[in-house]
Amino acid sequence: MDSDLVLPGQPISLPRGPIPQLGPGTYTRDAQVRASLVGIPRNEGSTLTISRVRPHPPGPNSVVLGSITRLSPLQAMLSITVVDGVPLPSGEEFTGVIRTQDVRATEKDKVKIADCFRGGDVVRGVVISLGDARSYFVTTARNDLGVIFATSEAGATMEPVSWQEMRCPKTGKIERRKCAKPENL
Amino acid sequence: MAQTGFDRRRINGPEQSHPPTFGTQDEVEGRWIVGQPRKARKPMDIRPIFLQPGLIDQANGSAYVETERTKIACAVYGPRQTKSTAYHEKGKLNVEVKFTPFSCERRRAPMRDAEDRSLAVAIHQALLPAVQVELLPKSTIDIFLTIIEADGIEACVAAGTVAASTALADAGIEMIGLVMSCAAAVVEQETWLDPTEEEARSARGSLVLSCMPALGTVTSVWQSGKLRPEEVLGCMDACQERCSDIHSVVAQALLENA
Repeated sequence: MDSDLVLPGQPISLPRGPIPQLGPGTYTRDAQVRASLVGIPRNEGSTLTISRVRPHPPGPNSVVLGSITRLSPLQAMLSITVVDGVPLPSGEEFTGVIRTQDVRATEKDKVKIADCFRGGDVVRGVVISLGDARSYFVTTARNDLGVIFATSEAGATMEPVSWQEMRCPKTGKIERRKCAKPENL
Repeated sequence: MAQTGFDRRRINGPEQSHPPTFGTQDEVEGRWIVGQPRKARKPMDIRPIFLQPGLIDQANGSAYVETERTKIACAVYGPRQTKSTAYHEKGKLNVEVKFTPFSCERRRAPMRDAEDRSLAVAIHQALLPAVQVELLPKSTIDIFLTIIEADGIEACVAAGTVAASTALADAGIEMIGLVMSCAAAVVEQETWLDPTEEEARSARGSLVLSCMPALGTVTSVWQSGKLRPEEVLGCMDACQERCSDIHSVVAQALLENA
């Protein structure tokens, strides 16, 4: 029963018992639960969803990856290319903004954007709101968020040495970045 | 001098050419005359539908529909970020229809044609109630329809709506139901479903009904010409019945593709 494909608008028969919470891909109309996507309805915990891996626009709390495109004293612009682990088609990137107050959780007023990001850095962030007309607001104020990939002035891939410094393996020079904590530490 | 010289600045025609041969099929069979019953089909029959989702790989979703001489390809891109500066709480649906120059009996001049926009509006109206645009803030869904061959404008709107709805489902865009569409024309006193161009020309009035058979709701009605209220209601009932048949065709195509 559960392995059957449903089409948009098709009623989903629910098992007896408590009505599950409705996740993406489902909706109710006139007290009838229906599908809104082509797929197989599944119960994930207490939520009923029809999941489909497809590129989708970021929403609040989406984890995004993107590269820094522009810096200003107040904010860094981010070109979002991956949303919740799903890459977007090329040419369909969303623009995000990291404001100074969203770079880190402490000493927010001492943040200098130039000491945290450089153009071309790949950054992991979390969307905090849909933002203004043009861009999504992104925060890096968490240990696991920040720059995950950066090249030095010499052109080599740098490695993080502390949460706000990265070292170039070629020249040994230290550059300042707001680094994300590597996952294996 | 000019005859002998090979002009390299112009596009030169082939050395050999032949006059084009036109299909004379229609002429041989003879035209429909007032008072005769409908040729080729029964009044309530529609043309057989061929539907193939996912034909265009670079699009997020696509569909190709063919009903005898009506051939439409549809591609869905997005949701992508809206380029305009204003903030939209709801997503935007952008429908663009293009006729190929060879789609009709008369050559369609690209850009200068006005009919594609009215078709786009009709298809947009038919689809909008079904798409859950409230789930896509600040985003746009682009739907591009290319009419490769047209046989009746009403049939184009109907087939285009079916193709677009299939392509949206293929793209995984959340919809409250699949939109189906069917055209009808009143010729003399009779109602003919899915009229061809020739039939539409001899019709007194025509109607395109778009509905969601899964929910039993109508999304749009597009009527032109002179029709009495009871004729309109008769057409709508006939179209709605036929839409549920089209729905099963679309359902089968989508399930086979999934």
